[in-house]
Amino acid sequence: MEAAQPKSVKHVPTLCYNCVSGPDFMCVKVVDGVATEIEPNFAAADIHPAKGKVCVKAYGLVQKTYNPNRILTPMKRTNPKKGRNEDPGFVPISWDEALDLVAGKLNAVRAKGLVDAAGLPRVAVSLGHGGTPSNYMGTFPAFLAAWGEVDFSFGSGQGVKCVHSEHLYGEFWHRGFTVASDTPNARYVIAVGANVDVTGGPCAVIRHADARVRGYKRVQVEPSLTATGACSAEWVPIRPKTDPAFLFALIHVLVRENGLAKLDIPFLRDRTASPYLVAPDGLYLRDPQSGKPLVWDEVSATAVPHDAVGARPAVAGSYRLAHAVVVDADKERREYSDVEGKTAYEMLSQHIDKYTPEWAETICDVKAETIRRIANEYLEAASIGETIVIDGQTLPLRPVAVTLGKSVNNGWGAFECCWARTVLAALVGALENPGGLVGTTVRLNKSRDNRHLSVKPGEDGFMVQYFNPTTKEEWQSAPSTRNLHQTLVPIVGHNGAWSQALGPTQLAWMFQGERPDDWSMPMPTLPDVWLVYRSNPSISFWDTKHLAEVAAKFPFMACVAYTVDETNYMADVLLPEATDLESTQMIRMGGTKYMEQFWDYKGVVLRQKAVEPQGEARDFTWITTELAKRTGLLEPYFGAINKGVSGVSPLKGKGYDFSLDPASEPGSEQIWDAVCRAATVTLSEGREEHDLEWFREHGFYAVPMSRLEWYLTPTMEKLGLRYELPYQERLLRTGRELGRRLHEQKMNWWDEQLSEYTALPEWHDVPGRWIRNLEKSGARIEDFPFWLLTTKSMQYHAGGNAAIEVMHEVAQNLRGHAGVIMNAKTAAGLGIAEGDRVEVRSHIGATYGKASLMQGIRPDTLVIIGQFDHWATPFAKTIGAPSLNTIAPMSIDLTDATGSGADIVRVGVRKVEGVAA
Amino acid sequence: MKNPILRAANLASPKQQRNWDWRAASNFIAGGAGGGLLLLTSLATSLAAGFAPEVTRSAILLGLMLIGGGLTCVWFEIGRPWRALNVYRHFSTSWMTREAVVALVLFSFGALALLTLHPVFVVAAGILGLGFLYSQARILAANKGIPAWRHPRSIALMVATGLAEGGGFLACVVSISSAALAAPALLALIALIAIRVWFWKAYLGGLVADGAPDGALRVLSGLDARFVVLGHVLPALAVAAALAGMPGRAGLAFAAGIMVVASGWFLKYTLVRRAAFTQGLALSRLPVRGRGPAGAATKPGWKVTPGTKTG
Amino acid sequence: MTRYVMSIDLRRCVGCQTCTAACKGANATPPGIQWRRVLDIESGEFPDVRRTFLPVACMHCANPPCEAVCPTRATTKRADGLVAIDYDLCIGCANCVMACPYDARSIVHESHFAYGDMPMASEAKRFDPDRIGVSMKCTFCVDRIDLAAITGQIPGVDPEVTPACVNSCISGAMQFGDIEDPQSSVSRLLQETQHYRMHEELGTEPGVYYIWDQS
Repeated sequence: MEAAQPKSVKHVPTLCYNCVSGPDFMCVKVVDGVATEIEPNFAAADIHPAKGKVCVKAYGLVQKTYNPNRILTPMKRTNPKKGRNEDPGFVPISWDEALDLVAGKLNAVRAKGLVDAAGLPRVAVSLGHGGTPSNYMGTFPAFLAAWGEVDFSFGSGQGVKCVHSEHLYGEFWHRGFTVASDTPNARYVIAVGANVDVTGGPCAVIRHADARVRGYKRVQVEPSLTATGACSAEWVPIRPKTDPAFLFALIHVLVRENGLAKLDIPFLRDRTASPYLVAPDGLYLRDPQSGKPLVWDEVSATAVPHDAVGARPAVAGSYRLAHAVVVDADKERREYSDVEGKTAYEMLSQHIDKYTPEWAETICDVKAETIRRIANEYLEAASIGETIVIDGQTLPLRPVAVTLGKSVNNGWGAFECCWARTVLAALVGALENPGGLVGTTVRLNKSRDNRHLSVKPGEDGFMVQYFNPTTKEEWQSAPSTRNLHQTLVPIVGHNGAWSQALGPTQLAWMFQGERPDDWSMPMPTLPDVWLVYRSNPSISFWDTKHLAEVAAKFPFMACVAYTVDETNYMADVLLPEATDLESTQMIRMGGTKYMEQFWDYKGVVLRQKAVEPQGEARDFTWITTELAKRTGLLEPYFGAINKGVSGVSPLKGKGYDFSLDPASEPGSEQIWDAVCRAATVTLSEGREEHDLEWFREHGFYAVPMSRLEWYLTPTMEKLGLRYELPYQERLLRTGRELGRRLHEQKMNWWDEQLSEYTALPEWHDVPGRWIRNLEKSGARIEDFPFWLLTTKSMQYHAGGNAAIEVMHEVAQNLRGHAGVIMNAKTAAGLGIAEGDRVEVRSHIGATYGKASLMQGIRPDTLVIIGQFDHWATPFAKTIGAPSLNTIAPMSIDLTDATGSGADIVRVGVRKVEGVAA
Repeated sequence: MKNPILRAANLASPKQQRNWDWRAASNFIAGGAGGGLLLLTSLATSLAAGFAPEVTRSAILLGLMLIGGGLTCVWFEIGRPWRALNVYRHFSTSWMTREAVVALVLFSFGALALLTLHPVFVVAAGILGLGFLYSQARILAANKGIPAWRHPRSIALMVATGLAEGGGFLACVVSISSAALAAPALLALIALIAIRVWFWKAYLGGLVADGAPDGALRVLSGLDARFVVLGHVLPALAVAAALAGMPGRAGLAFAAGIMVVASGWFLKYTLVRRAAFTQGLALSRLPVRGRGPAGAATKPGWKVTPGTKTG
Repeated sequence: MTRYVMSIDLRRCVGCQTCTAACKGANATPPGIQWRRVLDIESGEFPDVRRTFLPVACMHCANPPCEAVCPTRATTKRADGLVAIDYDLCIGCANCVMACPYDARSIVHESHFAYGDMPMASEAKRFDPDRIGVSMKCTFCVDRIDLAAITGQIPGVDPEVTPACVNSCISGAMQFGDIEDPQSSVSRLLQETQHYRMHEELGTEPGVYYIWDQS
């Protein structure tokens, strides 16, 4: 104990990337070598939309550093038996022994071959939450690149529990891996489950706060009143998983009740496929010679190819064509004579006719008049015709957006929602225009740092796409990964780790147990070596009990460990990593990144060692370099680093060369010094070069960026490209091809998923899928009368925060944290009072927590915030919190065509006395 | 005392105060009665013929012990007992300082009274006893954070119950010493009982009318019937019976005294602990969230009814 | 004259508790003790419900009831409007805790730490035995305000001399400054907006203004 005057006080600039909404700036106050406080970094206030501030999570990092429950030496398992009830018997070992153990297993794999007899990689790597690990893992990506085939199939939730359909379809339609409202210019936002004031990070929070003060309107459509709903002008408590019906009805009001004349006709005509003529069989009518889709030219009153110069395509209507062809799956070509072609917009208009607000009311439990009013407010706020000047360029100003949240934009119904909201943007010209709906980054396409560069001309006047092939010749009939991403999900593509990680990762877990009866592919194997980094799937996935049982079967598992947790409980080796305040890495910042991280600047920021690592914890770049050395991969490892794999730009380029020589075995300092220099030289276009020492003092380096980079439409216009909306001919064809391939292999277990491949989405009783799944298991629906949902918490969110005492403490100021949120009236009917311990039971199990009664939740819905239910993680296991993950099943029935599911399950709830088992 | 993590749903609502436990309550309970006892002893000594010296001595000693005991309890409660003398630093506005000053003088005069039984000292001790009692009442009333205390009628109630308890104690002391209680003394006790019940009703009515946290009103309303009957009707009947010449006069007076004291202590314990709900936090307006109207005021844990003053 | 006050724009606050955590860090308060926090207040009945986030702390009243009742003069109202506590004088009688209508004060009688009985390095570094057994509350980060007097910096403008909660707030809900200076950002904001102070009817004249709409 001491209260003496400090001898030295430093404020060390660094960053927080605890969630996908980073990086944000902060300083660590270090007193006599001890980190004591987190502070904003106001030196970054002018370049950072959030003015140099970090959210609440960062304020837990001091405790994260000094948490006495940390693993501080390498450990090895002494109990060969694995399981939840088997004490692993971890004993401390030296770094040499630990690294030799891991390298030995890796070398054995290299000796046998990287791929096993089933064609699957022998090494699997699991990484946590939403790409955040890559912002902490130093040079590990270079090691992976040097290694070769790796299976990322065993996800911790990403790929299925993320905003999955938004990632896939967002990137497909408008290069929007994450999609946001252009909040700085927005006037009207319909947020369907998008909990941006919780998940969007400081940039989103300040922007929406500014927008509120400015007088924008946000309508929150969600079964419970989240913090974001609380901060919205209106809350629409929609029935869970009926969001597609609500959105379809909005389109109906725009298209059928307002009509084309009130929509953005130039945008629909020139930037979308609305004018493309569709044959009675649902395929585009094409020019027989060029194969290009045809449009009806109002000038010449003839059908002409979509890119005919001087044509004025008709957006609506039906037209008779003398001669045209269609191209079906597997390039099957059919000829048509004297055929009626309807424009794609016309198809949409007729399709949407039945989805009236009155119809939607019966599905969504939202009054038709409310739906109609919201649609009309949206249309009015779109202010079609208005313009804005940005950096001298006049662009349309369409300040409206529909944003989607988790479990709306993943799992069944998500395709429909993503389609509908993108169509809603297109109808008013708000897609990728100022004020409207913008994508912020790409991950399935390159370049990842500039989505504009990923836009290149492709087929049919659309931008290029890189689907996994479904042709007879190229379809991957024997999966190369355990989640079958190339086999089953064409749209996810094959662009490295991101495509893999966004495959149906629950299939990797499920198929280690049972497989469908008509499975005809090689049997999936377990990987010889499983590396886990910043990931705890035994807590964050579904059916976690079963998952932990599968994890216990892996033959060798090495985990980079912060504390003991539910996944590394099964590990053979634990490697203690230097954490946020103890380690060094340079990452990109600004530009346009996830969520609402689109800035007026772009640059790089250094996470630096503010204090010495605790115990024997080591910087991950050091760990990685040691592994590379012990596996004989130094040459390709540094080769990858030199290419820029782990940094932000290549270490050698025009006019500069900071490349590292593997022979000299450069240490971490040299690596990051070279990265710092290369980054600044490239960002400044050769004007400036700064080394690691400079960054340790200054923290970051930024250069201005035009806001024009926020919007894709000007780029599309420049390239003469159209958004592939509203009609989905490509998806229709792709689905047909995929179906043929699977059926040729005598497999029908993916047939239900194939139904999602439609040109215009239909409503298909989305919530009914969960009910049917329940009944199929033999359970009775009346025993499970409630929907259980989950929602995020800014305080816990990710980054191991459930083990951080101060985060738990401050989170308790908010309703429902670490409890079961339920409607107060419903609870009264069940004899449940505030704080009562309740059991929430699904057909696969039960979870327990304290009731938190609210008025702001539908009577038929329960919500559990976060994902806890820890049983091994110190501190977290003592908070007695429930988790949806414990009781939500993994099931093919609940997996959509992209491979994602949703955090929703039917449950019953009752009061229990005392502590339940 | 522990600072338990409260549930978010309850954080804004008035909560029972947790800083003054039985030790602090004891000061109000015992000290107030002691002050009342000293005053009534001095009144009896100076206005009436007075008691036998040992009765007067016993009464004064008891009064001083009650006050001293209460203060000792407080001493054990405060966070920094070894700096307790700092309590004398704020005479200009702090009723706690004033209470402590009065206590100091009171013990001086009380000791002299005890030793000499000189009327001047006895009267001085009595007046200081009243001062001590009044200071305590003002300590509670100065606490704006506790609506049940800060109500202006709480002062009269606290003084009235202190005096009634003093009367009750005096009746007990006199009964034990088998000195016959004269009719005027018994009438005085009835008067003290009547005064207390009148101030109690006035206080409760005022609190309901002016508004207080639901929890405080629930506790105090729940106390009402028992307090009135056990603390007033029954002892008054006992005294009346004694006055009417029912046999066992001393026993009746003793029983009445005990009932008056016990009910007063129960009242004060309830007031200091169970009914001591904090003000809670409130919003005069809910903010405009972008567009639309601001929301109406909300004051969790308070029933706000038309025509009811809040605050 | 100077009177430092805080404005809190309820339109902006999202209840994230960043200020709560930043305060805990800046002031090294023990587990369970929050000199400020953001309350989560629900009103109405389903489906007509409002949920409001209300940051609360010491209101640094112009007429502080805590100061009047304090028997030791440990609690004082400074010339610049801050209500301060001298830990060396306080006897921990809790009278001020009762006097405060804003639940702003607390007393810790025993030291305890985030992970049990032993302090982490960061806790040991900052443990202050003077704060055991005495009344504590938000100080408006008084050390920073005092630093301003030395450096000439302006509280509410220069982060180094601005309360930690204000610095940390990611929604920009809080402003801090001298209300006697009509040009201070807080004065200007209050001129442009509609606001109130909590429990004004108690005559405490709080120094925290809650903004709920534009003028």
